[in-house]
Amino acid sequence: MSSAQPPAPLRPATAMPRSAAAAVRGRFALPLTRDKADTLLLLAAALMVLAPHAAHLPLWISALAGITLLWRAAIAWLGKRMPPVWLLVPIALAAMAGVYLTFRTLLGRDAGVAMLVLLLAFKLLEMHARRDLFVVIFLSFFVLLTSFLYSQTIPAALYVAVALVVLLTAQLSFQYTGAVPPLRQRLRTSLKLCLLAAPLALLMFVGFPRIQGPLWGLPGDALGGKTGLSDTMAPGTLSALAQSDEVAFRVRFLDRAPTQQQLYWRSIVLGDYDGRTWTRVPRKRGLQRLEITIQARGAPVRYETILEASNTRWLPLLELAAPHFQLPGHRLRDSDEMELYTVDPIERRLRYQAGAYLDVTLQAGEQPARMARWLELPAGFNPRTLALAQQLRAQRPDADAAELSKTVLTRFRTQNYRYTLEPPLLGRDAVDDFLFGSKAGFCEHYAGAYVVLMRAMGVAARVVTGYQGGERNPVDGYYTVRQSDAHAWAEIWTTQDGWQRVDPTAAVAPERIERSLARALPRPSGFGGFALAPLLDLQNDPDSWLAQLRYNYAALNNSWNQWVLDYNPDRQRSFLEELGAALGNWRTALGAALVAALLWALRWRRARQPADRLDGLYAAFCRQQARHGFARLPVEGPHSYAARLRSMPASEEKHAAMDQFLHLYGMLKYGAGGTESRTASLATLNTLLSLCR
Amino acid sequence: MVAALQALYRKGRDQWLFQLREAEPGTVTLTNRRVFIVPTRAGLAFAVLLLVMLIGALNYSLGLGFALTFFAGACAVADMYLTAKNLALLQLAPGRAQPVFAGEEAQFELHLLNRSKQDRYAVWLGFQADGEPRHVTDVAAGGSSAVLLTVRSSERGWLAAPRVRLVTRFPLGLFRAWAYWRPDARVLVYPAPELPAPALPSSGAASEDGHGTVGLDNFAGIRSYQPGDPLKHLAWRQIARHDPALGGQLVSKHFEGGAVAELCLDFAALPLAMDLEHKLARMASWVLQAEQRTLPYSFRLAQHDYGPALGDAHRAACLRALALFGQEGR
Repeated sequence: MSSAQPPAPLRPATAMPRSAAAAVRGRFALPLTRDKADTLLLLAAALMVLAPHAAHLPLWISALAGITLLWRAAIAWLGKRMPPVWLLVPIALAAMAGVYLTFRTLLGRDAGVAMLVLLLAFKLLEMHARRDLFVVIFLSFFVLLTSFLYSQTIPAALYVAVALVVLLTAQLSFQYTGAVPPLRQRLRTSLKLCLLAAPLALLMFVGFPRIQGPLWGLPGDALGGKTGLSDTMAPGTLSALAQSDEVAFRVRFLDRAPTQQQLYWRSIVLGDYDGRTWTRVPRKRGLQRLEITIQARGAPVRYETILEASNTRWLPLLELAAPHFQLPGHRLRDSDEMELYTVDPIERRLRYQAGAYLDVTLQAGEQPARMARWLELPAGFNPRTLALAQQLRAQRPDADAAELSKTVLTRFRTQNYRYTLEPPLLGRDAVDDFLFGSKAGFCEHYAGAYVVLMRAMGVAARVVTGYQGGERNPVDGYYTVRQSDAHAWAEIWTTQDGWQRVDPTAAVAPERIERSLARALPRPSGFGGFALAPLLDLQNDPDSWLAQLRYNYAALNNSWNQWVLDYNPDRQRSFLEELGAALGNWRTALGAALVAALLWALRWRRARQPADRLDGLYAAFCRQQARHGFARLPVEGPHSYAARLRSMPASEEKHAAMDQFLHLYGMLKYGAGGTESRTASLATLNTLLSLCR
Repeated sequence: MVAALQALYRKGRDQWLFQLREAEPGTVTLTNRRVFIVPTRAGLAFAVLLLVMLIGALNYSLGLGFALTFFAGACAVADMYLTAKNLALLQLAPGRAQPVFAGEEAQFELHLLNRSKQDRYAVWLGFQADGEPRHVTDVAAGGSSAVLLTVRSSERGWLAAPRVRLVTRFPLGLFRAWAYWRPDARVLVYPAPELPAPALPSSGAASEDGHGTVGLDNFAGIRSYQPGDPLKHLAWRQIARHDPALGGQLVSKHFEGGAVAELCLDFAALPLAMDLEHKLARMASWVLQAEQRTLPYSFRLAQHDYGPALGDAHRAACLRALALFGQEGR
């Protein structure tokens, strides 16, 4: 294509020195040749397509693609020849090798995308025929699609829409053969094409039968960067999560919402402690499952959760989950510790409904022997803590579990314990160091230390991790629970009351439970470290306009997630059913039919109207006279028609009007224009037409 | 048998499916029924791309991937609509066509009228028999454009315009819309003049007078130039003496005997043994020579008997008679 183009003529050197800027301006002032303009437009489209990938690709790939684009632009701009194949092939092979060295594979998501990006960039340098042009454009379409692997937010979608319009414009520009309209008009043409396509695309999006993917095993890196609760707890596990603003799940309560203090989302129960890490109690194979007795009081709270993909198996459920929970499409397991988890990791957003009893007695009256496993402590760790437990126990020999718990919590509250995201490092006896040394920690420290103390005092206790709280969005009523709401609390068991929830963190930082973490801790990086952030504090004030904006945006994002990103087979079925029910309603159906009829009538009317009003009036005149038996013959012009019409038996006025009409028509149609303006003449014609009836 | 079936199939397809018709008089509007459309090779590749995109979106459960795939598909459908619309309701009218001699290129002027409010770009035209059309034109909204299509003429008589194919791939090139039209235009093809040019016949009267064959060589003096005098009759020697730039005049040589020795091109006088087409070719050659040498000539061919005259109209009438000899009823 461009290779066939003659080199740009050299500009004669001018005597006057000119600045480079002026020279460039001079270049721009020159009308670009057709080929050049088209190629540059295509390059701009390719740049727009490639740009979003710069965010995740290794720097050298982005740089190589950028240089290739610049090279191609220079070739187009200066009218130089394309690089020969013997130069391109080694570069392409070297780039491929580079991709392999970087990713250690050529397959998989990231390596595949890197290859596609480089392929598109190199194809631009090897574009000779019209077929190559289509190859470039089709590749661009696919690269656009792959950008959704990394981001599917609303801004990303808008950006892709703009890139698509530019890409279509580039494709369109190559189709002109004669005069090429200005860019603005071409953009309008492709925009029009998009508007034409939009309703059909919407229809296909809603109605096209969806199948639940994946069709085959996803490459290992397909779900990179997904975070979620871990099924172990060591110091630092949760505080690392707490710094993530990522949404863990969203909840909508179908009836009345519980209070903030009641929102404990239970995920994992940790019972085994090795002195540093809390892990789940392993289930022994073939062991008889316990009969769990649950006494629930009151009606369950019903809610709907939209769980983000976490790549873990744990479902956060409001304590305490009502039984008979169903999750279509997933195999579920439950445990004696009232956890629920899926057999396969959750790789995509899930939507489910569940119920929860807020007031429950769990496993009351169980034989204490069965609770022995919740009393185990590692030997040789935390001697001071054990001594403290012995001392507390000795002080109150007749106290029950609840009273002992109160003692511990009081200790946390009164002895200058601090709640912080960045606790100091702890040594081998972590609990000792925490309780007697740093006295500063995050929820995992408090929950862990609490359980160790309680066990040391002979009270069955365990750690529960999950999420606590959630931020209610006043716009759509959804509660957003973020990874930063990850929390650890404890449960103690007594024969009389069964398992009881105790939150040691609440003793230290009650505001963490009452509100949310965002307000419980001063944000070290609020506003990106901006010094004025604490002064402004817009983020934390729920009534500020910024917060309102944030809520609105969050609500928009939520519907976006539900309706665009997560429009899966289930959602499609239920939506189409709802739609069917709505259309089944005779009033809706009638309305739709009326609108359709109206649109059709408008169209029909417009189709009947000739493009030119003058022609329309003339046609109306001819129809009119045809009714009197004087149809215009195809060969007759207005003049000869007028002559023949004179023989029509009619009144003087009508004859005069007809003559005048045809004369005026002839003038307007074939003459150089009369004295009156065209609009005025058309009005006159209209009046005359009514006289000729 | 197979060939016959194939022919039958082709005929049925052309007439029923493609609506191939005989020449239609006047302005023809390409109704929707006459515009056909299929995907181009690029369009088929695009379909494959859509499938790949769909599979990608499905495999990674990309909600926006679905959206992009469906949008791209819808764009292709919109492109199909616009491509068909680029051709549909275009009005076609044949223009003037000049007579040619057999063996020359006959030129048909075709007019494309766009009555719609949309500009139509990149409409390709060509005769169906020539394969892919090679002429391309834009038709502005409310405007028209003219295209000259040429076809080689082979034999004398009327040459009807062959069937024209109009093709467009605008705007995205994913679809190819086409339509057929047989313009109601014809070109008169004169017989090819005989080559090398035979000598003009000697007129009977002139020979009896004992003058030269045509009386052209009888130089009778010079006279002042009159418009219409052939260049070769200019008396250059005299002109050189009277430099026209200095007020001198152009002068022509004057020949005598031309009026006396009347040139008569008579078909019946040609040898009987000659082939008909050969005779016609010779007559045509004579007409051209006589015109070239500005010798008034009379012309006789069957019922056509034109008196001695000279000029375009006379020439056209004679050549027309030659072209249509034996074909008048057709």
